Amino acid sequence: MIPQIEIDKNKCATPYECKKCLQICPQAVFAVAPTKVERFKETAPEDYEVQAVFKDKCVLCMDCVKVCPTGAIKVKVGSS
Amino acid sequence: MCELCEKYGDNGGRWYLNPENYARPLYKKVEKGKEKEPMILTELQGPFYYKPLIELKDNPEAFEKMREGYSKFHETMGGQVVSLEDAKKMVEIAQPIARMDCICRRITRATLEDGEQRPRTCLGLGVGMFRWEEWPERYKGGVEFLSTEEAKEHIEHWHKRGMVITIMTFGTPYIGGICLCDYPDCLAIRMRLDYGIKPMLLKGHQVAKVNYEECTGCGTCVQRCQFGAIKMEVTTKKSNIDMTRCFGCGVCTYACPQDAISLIDREKLPGLKEEW
Repeated sequence: MIPQIEIDKNKCATPYECKKCLQICPQAVFAVAPTKVERFKETAPEDYEVQAVFKDKCVLCMDCVKVCPTGAIKVKVGSS
Repeated sequence: MCELCEKYGDNGGRWYLNPENYARPLYKKVEKGKEKEPMILTELQGPFYYKPLIELKDNPEAFEKMREGYSKFHETMGGQVVSLEDAKKMVEIAQPIARMDCICRRITRATLEDGEQRPRTCLGLGVGMFRWEEWPERYKGGVEFLSTEEAKEHIEHWHKRGMVITIMTFGTPYIGGICLCDYPDCLAIRMRLDYGIKPMLLKGHQVAKVNYEECTGCGTCVQRCQFGAIKMEVTTKKSNIDMTRCFGCGVCTYACPQDAISLIDREKLPGLKEEW
């Protein structure tokens, strides 16, 4: 069963700058990307989003849940 | 034979050594008009698009069906492993060459490759690079233009430290970049190995073979292989390369202190010549 990993966007404001979950994950499950791009302008830190992508690789170690400073990550087994 | 060489090679030569595949008009075709902006966002958000596929990992039939669609897409945007020798020939053809931060590493680990350890491993190719300032988000951290000699040194430096050299196309066969990759932060290696998206990263034109006379079983190559193709055969105390898993990157040949591993032509081996 593929684990469900939910990230509360309201709690995770500037993921690219925080990057704690991205760097601690032993299975490199997460990905971060801007939600928009503009000509001649870098995307603002609050216009980034982190998502759990490679969920089939998650081993439920919960390191991301523990490291998240705002408690934005929820990991659970199963689809419910 | 390599399908890309058949289609895009110059008289049976390797496709990525054909100067036509570095030409601007092909690049323009992909970039046309308003398509351009979303293309950049699509590239930056790359892995997000894989979530529906990965959700199906528990359902082999549905996964397989969807995987075909993803593979089809990557026939227009993908790459191939190249040897150091061939990469050096490539930078003699491609101009200009711009060094930049690896986009995959930014996406998967949020590392901007700064500070003293700054690898800035990626090389962007072609005249499009002159307009990098138009999209500062794509080229975060800026780019530096390298001479052919500097580019060769750059590639050799990172390859000898264990990075796999790959080509990336932006509208195959247009060659837009040379990347220096490792697992798991390289999305191309990962999508091929873990999800079977073959055209995202084809195997190279060579494969590695161990000379058992020379191998001392030190295990250095085992640690270096990014494809999990090398094992230590405990009883014989020799490295064993599974040539069906080998991508022919050559990292092990440089890692071996005994010089016991060499690259041989894939197409000379009937059992591997159709294995890309």
